Amino acid sequence: MQIRRKASAGTMQSSDLMVVVEPSDTLKVEIESTVKKQYEHLIRAQISSTLDELAVSTGHIQVSDRGALDYAIAARVETAIRRASGE
Amino acid sequence: MSQVLFDQPAVSEAKELIESQGLRFEPELDDLVGLYEDGELIACGARLGYVLKMLVVAPSHQGTDALGGLITQLIRSAISAGHDTVFVFTSPKNVASFKALNFRLLVAHDQTALLEHGPGLEAYFASHDSQITQGHNGAVVINGNPFTLGHLGLVEQAARQVDRLYVFIVREDQSIFPFAVRFRLAQEATAHLRNVTVLDTSRYSVSAGTFPSYFLKRLDDVAKAQMQIDLLLFAQRIAPHFNVECRFVGEEPNCETTAAYNKLMAEILEAHAIRCVEFPRILAGGLPISATRVRQAFAANDIETLRGLVPPATLEFLQSPLARPIAERLRS
Repeated sequence: MQIRRKASAGTMQSSDLMVVVEPSDTLKVEIESTVKKQYEHLIRAQISSTLDELAVSTGHIQVSDRGALDYAIAARVETAIRRASGE
Repeated sequence: MSQVLFDQPAVSEAKELIESQGLRFEPELDDLVGLYEDGELIACGARLGYVLKMLVVAPSHQGTDALGGLITQLIRSAISAGHDTVFVFTSPKNVASFKALNFRLLVAHDQTALLEHGPGLEAYFASHDSQITQGHNGAVVINGNPFTLGHLGLVEQAARQVDRLYVFIVREDQSIFPFAVRFRLAQEATAHLRNVTVLDTSRYSVSAGTFPSYFLKRLDDVAKAQMQIDLLLFAQRIAPHFNVECRFVGEEPNCETTAAYNKLMAEILEAHAIRCVEFPRILAGGLPISATRVRQAFAANDIETLRGLVPPATLEFLQSPLARPIAERLRS
């Protein structure tokens, strides 16, 4: 999938995450999280895995996470990407 | 089962809730969001530009995640308006609540804390990475409305005293000369100075226009609280990153507010081991050159006076068709 425009998904509520994606020439994933110290690597891994599944190779992805579980991360990232691709 | 929804509250409704929590209602806003439960407003917050303010939760609902819901709406609203990063100015006692929402504390004093959410300061620094140099550097912060020979004199004198001089042009677009013009004129006027770098302040210069006062108890505290936050931001975050050891300003003979700011600047910078140097104003016709004088002469189409007040690039712009709408606005 191609990120064609800016889009977002999710909320800033506890156990959720907010994802904002926009087009970019390179791939950049920025993560803010209330559990960053403990789980940043896992959050990053889940995001990468979701991007791979959707065949996304470029984009600026910003995540503000409040302790979301892996399935929630996958869901929000996928929704944001789909909204951004215009599909 | 209670029904929870987000809606835009009536100003009167929001005002009542905000005031009930000991805050002041500030009518300048771009967006107002409320959280309703069973038809009752139990939390609200507002946004003006990239600044979030007047966030309140009714006591009955404190300890729930009402703030998370409000912040979501406000951040989405900010993103739609083109702001990736949002600011919150609030009482220091609320810092922990905002940190739990991934806000980062920028600076604080006893009356005010400034936090941000989004790419923010780190992204600003990253965008200027290639312009950071080691050494004994200096800074001036200029609005440049427009850039005058006074500004140029300040920059030239300052540049002689440091390895690199950073000229920060105020990014806020509240002046009659648009930011893009103010920036370009500063760049052109200083292009001949090898050790001068012109850049913009982004959000990190806190003006009276940006600073909300809804959380301050007394209105006479506002100007000082605003200046302190602005100066702490410079001293604690900006200066160290750019290896700035000295800030230069022109003396302020006329404007009380600017003079008060300069005095507070000397105090705060010294407390952070940053030198503060005041240069006497450059004179033209026996009077200090100021952007105010330039705007007056420009509105009066007095080219001869302008020649003695501004560098060639500014004069060229003032005589160009692009400047005509600005002249008209000045005259009205």
